[in-house]
Amino acid sequence: MTFDNPPPTSGSAQGRSGFSQAGQATFDVALRIGGLFAAIILVAVITVIIKPNAFNLDVGITVLRAMSSVAIMSLGLLLVIVVGEIDLSFGAVYGLCANVLAVLWIVNGVSVYVALPIAIATGALVGLFNGALVTWFKIPSFIVTLGSYNLLYGVSLWITNTSTFNPVYPPAGVTIPQAELDLFTGLTASYGTRPISLEVAWMIGIAVLVWLLLHRSLFGFRLTAVGGNPVAARLARLPVTRYKILAFVLCGVLAGIAGILDFSFIQTVQPNSGLSATFPVFAAVIIGGASLSGGKGTVIGTIGGALLLAELQQGLALLSPGPHVQQLFLGAVTIGAVALDLTLSKIRNRRAS
Amino acid sequence: MTAAAAVSLRGIAKRYGSTIALDGLDLDLRPGEVMGIAGPNGAGKSTLVRILAGEEPADSGQILLNGTPWAPMQDWARVAVVHQEPQLFPNLTVAENMLVGREGSFAARPRLDAANLGLMRTMGIADVAHVMLGDCTLAIQQRTEIARAVARNASVFLFDEPNSALTSAESDELFREMHALARAGHIVALVTHRLGDFVAHCQRVAVVRDGRVRRILEGAELTEDGIARQLVTVEKAATPGGRSRQLAEQGPIAFQVQDWTDRNGAFAQVSLTGRPGEVVALMGVEGSGAREMLRSLAGLERCTGQIQIGALQGNRALRGAAAYVPAARQHSLYSNLSVGENLLVRLGVPQIAGRGLALKRRQMQVLIADAIARFLVKVRAPSQPVRSLSGGNQQKVAIAQALLCAPDLLLLEEPTRGVDIHSKAEIYGLLRAYAAKGHAVVIFCTELLEVYEAADTVRVASGGRLSSPLAVAAYDQVEQLASDVIRLEQDHRAGTAA
Repeated sequence: MTFDNPPPTSGSAQGRSGFSQAGQATFDVALRIGGLFAAIILVAVITVIIKPNAFNLDVGITVLRAMSSVAIMSLGLLLVIVVGEIDLSFGAVYGLCANVLAVLWIVNGVSVYVALPIAIATGALVGLFNGALVTWFKIPSFIVTLGSYNLLYGVSLWITNTSTFNPVYPPAGVTIPQAELDLFTGLTASYGTRPISLEVAWMIGIAVLVWLLLHRSLFGFRLTAVGGNPVAARLARLPVTRYKILAFVLCGVLAGIAGILDFSFIQTVQPNSGLSATFPVFAAVIIGGASLSGGKGTVIGTIGGALLLAELQQGLALLSPGPHVQQLFLGAVTIGAVALDLTLSKIRNRRAS
Repeated sequence: MTAAAAVSLRGIAKRYGSTIALDGLDLDLRPGEVMGIAGPNGAGKSTLVRILAGEEPADSGQILLNGTPWAPMQDWARVAVVHQEPQLFPNLTVAENMLVGREGSFAARPRLDAANLGLMRTMGIADVAHVMLGDCTLAIQQRTEIARAVARNASVFLFDEPNSALTSAESDELFREMHALARAGHIVALVTHRLGDFVAHCQRVAVVRDGRVRRILEGAELTEDGIARQLVTVEKAATPGGRSRQLAEQGPIAFQVQDWTDRNGAFAQVSLTGRPGEVVALMGVEGSGAREMLRSLAGLERCTGQIQIGALQGNRALRGAAAYVPAARQHSLYSNLSVGENLLVRLGVPQIAGRGLALKRRQMQVLIADAIARFLVKVRAPSQPVRSLSGGNQQKVAIAQALLCAPDLLLLEEPTRGVDIHSKAEIYGLLRAYAAKGHAVVIFCTELLEVYEAADTVRVASGGRLSSPLAVAAYDQVEQLASDVIRLEQDHRAGTAA
């Protein structure tokens, strides 16, 4: 997080002579994000060169839809990573929230207007649980959320009785009111001549909200400070505990929203939904330039990371060399992005000293 | 054991960036004696220890061992450093710690042999051979460290503030060990802030200031008072900060604590008051309770007693009216934030954020520009990373963070640690200006010069109690103040011993 438009520094000794250093932090972030989007364009160009008929708006729309839920979860995880903690449980929260909705609505006949808020509140509750254990009981967040990942998957299996749900084809003897069904599928309905799902709009809206929160609000400013130096934040009496818990709660809520949106789009949910998203979401945040040691990360970078992953996945599927290649790329890009980061900052530090 | 040899340092120089740590230091260490090394913070003592221990190279100069050039970086096994915090493996037993690095064969888990066991007996750690080192007392851990060094035939032993966390019985034991090492013909050097230990245990004491040995005290010259005066002697006469103003003996009180007792026992039944405009200095060695007293005023130690700051009392006063600047800059600065963001990091609604917690970005730029000018931070641009500032400017940013909160009571722990002379003067000026606006300032100092330049009154802590205040303005020379502070500490020690 940096300030643009630095004011004339009347109090400074050297005045403007050190401009190169002046915008350094801003410049670094811009370089990192510029590089990321250059990679995104490069991947697109390479795909089109190999497979010219991939140059197609439908492919682009598919990529955007496919990245939406990963991006929404990444934004939640970004907040937790910026405050210096780890959340491994969001994939399980994604599944749990969708399953809570399915069980309440489809099995127990609770109105969707009630079931939806309860499902999202479940995500918040899980975040509160994670955050409370991390801050009040001082259990490392890696352990807490590894535990809650399994715990939540267990709850999902339990409440669903290991079955799959689809509101369009409810179990025998259950009828879903048409208005409720329309509302639910309408959450991610597709519009336009080249149909584009509302899920993309949800992603963009949430990205704007998280951007405002992280980069333009006191909450985000302090979140960044707490993640950068928790000891200093505690000594300066910043509300460290509250901010950490809030980050976990927001992460849980966003994972729940992602789960419900995907449920609405795919129209089926099963107990293990979302679990396989865990590592791609981490990869998106890391590729986006966030630091696992906390205090560093941007919304635009995270979205770029999710876009690059979705693009690679889609592109490689079109080129169809086999599923192993997608995995190989996911691994290589994650390590490569961080290795590049560290190399660049080492060069910069050497030049500075 | 190898034959003992004398170590001579000739013209050792070392600089870190723009800071000169050692400036052509000459020193001779002789076998068979305990050599004391005294000096104010930042004088170069720790750098000297690191270079002798082979932890880092000198920029220039020569180290001689019995007259021939010697490189501790290569021959590090000959040197042993005993720190306040032993640098060992808490997850292994004492016996395993003895053997780590000297296991011999990698095939089998190492076993304790007769020679090592004998050594552990003489060091008095054989009984705890199979106890986890982390579960042992600090004294045992230090003895393990010494035993390790003896076992690898080390001949130079450097003790760096070894007894600041030991009980007095443990401390006596450690000094017996130190003398035994010296008698065995080893070179032994002691770095400490406790002047009494120099007088009791050292044959010679080298006073290091500004990267050189300024004086070697021995014989009749070697007294606590003598060392204390040497420590504060400066080429340029120091100017006492509080000199010009007379503080009202009566009048309003800015803050007051009574019957103030630490739950962890660092201090008990302390009374302390400060008037608006007064800079109070707390002094004392590690373990005296002075540092903890300062931190307790920031609400960082659990205490009982009454506290009042301004109009607030109890926990509300601790939470709302005091701001604390820690000694270490890594405990106050955020390396991921720019200089400007660091300055404002303690502020909230309404200073930097408004409705809906939205940041007032234009207002922030104004505040940052004001703060940079007001607190004399030399910065190319506010968006510069805070790491790229010099130590003195980083410290100004750390102090500015707290000052911008406009606390009734400003608390600083070692306000100028690792800061150059020019910035020191500027920082004292900032503190004085803040006090002059009717606030109270309390600083914890380890350096008497700092007290002399920055404070109005000084209270000396010893054994968890505070002395009565000394008015700095009453002293024309810093050496007199040094003598009186040492006398207060000695009296107190005599009082508690009796």
